[in-house]
Amino acid sequence: MNKQSADGKSKRPKTGRIFSMRAMLWFIGIAMIVVAIGPFVFDKYTTNVLIRSFLYAVTVLTVDILWGYTGILTFGQSAFFGIGAYAAALTFTHLGFSPEMAALSFIGGIVVSMAVAWLVGWIAFWHRASPLYVAVLSLVLPIIVVQLLYSGGKFTGSSSGLVGFEAFDISVNGWFWIAGGLLITLTAIGWLFVHSDFGRVLVAIRENEKRCQFLGIDTTRIKIILMMAMAAVASIAGYVYACYTVVVAPEIAGFVFGTELVIYTALGGRATLIGPAIGAVLIDLTSAYLSGNLPFIWKLIVGTIFVAVIVVLPQGAAPVVKGLFMRLGAFFRRTPGQPAIGDIASLSTLAAVESPSSRPGGVTDFAALKTENLSRHYGSFKALDTISFEARDGELLSIVGPNGAGKTTLMQCISDGQGRSGGNVWINGQLIGRKSPQAVVKLGIGRSFQNTNMFESLNVSECLRLARYCHERPALFSRETDLALPGAAMRIIEATGLEAIFDSEARNLSHGQKRALELTMVLAIEPSVLLLDEPTAGLTKAERTLIGGILADLSRDDELCVLLIEHDLDFVRQVSSRVIVLHQGGLLMDGTVQEVVASDMVKAVYSGQHAIEEHQ
Amino acid sequence: MHGELGDTLAINLALDVITSSAILFIISVGLLIIFGVMKILNFAHAGFISVGGYAGLVTTKFEVSPWLSFPLAFVIGAAIGAVLERLVIRHLYKRPLDAILAAWGIGIILVQLITILFGREIQFVQRPISGTLDVIGESYSTYRLFMVLGAVAVGSVIAWLLQRTRLGLNTRAVIMNDDLAQALAINSVRVRFISFSLGSGLAAMAGAMITPLSSVDPNMGFPWIVSAFMIVLLSGTSLVSLAASSFVLGGAQVLVSTFVNPVVGGLSIVILAAIILRIRPEGFSLE
Repeated sequence: MNKQSADGKSKRPKTGRIFSMRAMLWFIGIAMIVVAIGPFVFDKYTTNVLIRSFLYAVTVLTVDILWGYTGILTFGQSAFFGIGAYAAALTFTHLGFSPEMAALSFIGGIVVSMAVAWLVGWIAFWHRASPLYVAVLSLVLPIIVVQLLYSGGKFTGSSSGLVGFEAFDISVNGWFWIAGGLLITLTAIGWLFVHSDFGRVLVAIRENEKRCQFLGIDTTRIKIILMMAMAAVASIAGYVYACYTVVVAPEIAGFVFGTELVIYTALGGRATLIGPAIGAVLIDLTSAYLSGNLPFIWKLIVGTIFVAVIVVLPQGAAPVVKGLFMRLGAFFRRTPGQPAIGDIASLSTLAAVESPSSRPGGVTDFAALKTENLSRHYGSFKALDTISFEARDGELLSIVGPNGAGKTTLMQCISDGQGRSGGNVWINGQLIGRKSPQAVVKLGIGRSFQNTNMFESLNVSECLRLARYCHERPALFSRETDLALPGAAMRIIEATGLEAIFDSEARNLSHGQKRALELTMVLAIEPSVLLLDEPTAGLTKAERTLIGGILADLSRDDELCVLLIEHDLDFVRQVSSRVIVLHQGGLLMDGTVQEVVASDMVKAVYSGQHAIEEHQ
Repeated sequence: MHGELGDTLAINLALDVITSSAILFIISVGLLIIFGVMKILNFAHAGFISVGGYAGLVTTKFEVSPWLSFPLAFVIGAAIGAVLERLVIRHLYKRPLDAILAAWGIGIILVQLITILFGREIQFVQRPISGTLDVIGESYSTYRLFMVLGAVAVGSVIAWLLQRTRLGLNTRAVIMNDDLAQALAINSVRVRFISFSLGSGLAAMAGAMITPLSSVDPNMGFPWIVSAFMIVLLSGTSLVSLAASSFVLGGAQVLVSTFVNPVVGGLSIVILAAIILRIRPEGFSLE
């Protein structure tokens, strides 16, 4: 893939992220100083408590990445913390301590945690499983782990746990630096991760998982792998905890601890990483001092604040603290806001690669899209009934029909293998079977939607990069500044002036801009069959003509097969090469524009007479 | 002789299955109503069960009839539920995950308040009925048998409310299609408010009903909630499927506890429910 001219440089200051790179560097700097001098400043009790708090904070980071960024509410990270801790405790108790055993149990804890996370993910993330169900399952996990620990008899120490095993010979100060260093390192790595191109994919999953799947993103796989990675991190924190305290009890794997981790995250400020980390340390430290004197009152206060924050301040403390710092910072800021990472420095057109649908000689032995007896029933109601048709490369096929005719259902059945009740669909000669939307995308389908809400807090360039997911895997720990799009997508961008608003969040776009973005995203997938559900609804006449022209060009020049749902018959007449008329779930007519427009039957359907005649 | 022993076991086992299912039904029914109408699980359910348990303790302390603990628990639970719906839950309809988190926080607050008021130690309440009853030659705890009656009564009253009253009609409309119900000028805010109060009241009453079987402590509700969550997720929104899943899962729990071991038995509800949901996402609901 060659990149052509790097035109359209755009460097604009950017807003929207809670903490900038600069804030992150400040945080790391201050945190390093605190951790370095901590043992010499704090008394012994505080130092001891802080070691624990740091390890809790590491676990809280995993909750924030799962829940804050990706939208997977989990009460179960404590289970992995417990698995890591018990891996160390069990090994050192029963097999003795040695460097080999230490390494073995460290790896063992991680492996077991990841295996459990995989199992939980497999059970939790089935097709259309609700986030609520996932949350309940995450609550079940620590309960099962604790039950297993209880029933382990002498092996696990049952309810009293394991105490006094031999572990690393490291001073309290040493552990302080290890735990603090671990927290700072993982916060920094986590920060790079969530602000990378891949981190934007996580946010996209949180905001609209279904839409991600239709861009060809295997969200289930991503969520399971993410759960496994976060389980490994929590397991490491638990391992260090066990080695430092030399005491493990079932409570560290329990759901009460698991929910406390969520509370720290919510209070610190979800989806900010730094907020939850600081929140965890401060709250746990305060708990250690106050829970001795006022044990129940303190929990009551935390519970009350938690409920209040969820209702009134869902983003937690972080934005408030940031607001204070911004006001302070305004006094002695010298350089005006530099472009934050994530800005698109250059936009380019991908060199035209041979489209997968165009074959030597331009002749193919199968249709780009073929359906046979395609049906969708809801009980006795037939939303779609035995629809059979073919569409070839280079055709622009309009699907018309009154409301409720089954147009959108037809697209649903073509783009999702789970969508139909009966019949078959072939895309470029391949059966879609029961494939998921993301797998159907890989066969060459690109689908746009009628409604315009997609990824609220992603900006335009991030949305477009998301659409390129199948072609360019997003970087895990960095952000690309170059964005290369296929020619078809670039044509829409140029025609609609989308580039001027590359840094705007999708929620702030006008209706027309959203439609343009939607269309550009679908084209960025480089599909060979385009399914467009009213791409020009609500646009002005000029905009419609513009988009219509581009679509007609695309099907003719790029040999794309375009299926278009439209209400406006004038528009259909201008752009289509063929028209299909649906009525009450059935295929009423399949013919050229002239045939359909001249048809009395179609006129009758649109004026509502067809139903009457049928009943006579 | 051997045959007689086998009969005794079988009869006891059958009674255990039936009464355990009835208890699960009673525990879950308040959750089901809130889930049906609001599409959220009430994570404060455990707190409300504890509230009900302590209503039972209050009747014992004041030496009034223990039967009064049921209506008392219902009224207190419904009142607390009504206040919390107004103050908290109402503002989170558009954020379901936040709603369950806030409910979790409410549960913490309820449990801490109970701890401050009554102490954290385990206490015992007076049973409304004691002794045993003869069932086909076997003597069995009368109160456990009463739970079956209780489950049938609670289920019948709710079914009557849903099927035979104007409020029930509106509620069913909101359960089926909230947007459409609102378009038909049904006050769905009011339906939700009543449902949450009713569900909270039923949760507290369930707490009062189960405490005579064991004891009260501030965290007494927690062991129940995960089972109740799974049963409700498995049931969807119908009372009949709630009864069916209570029976299947309660039965599984009793059988596994008896023949395998009690720890696995305790976990069998959640594990079985997760497997069923993985294979058949609609669970026991008929839709």
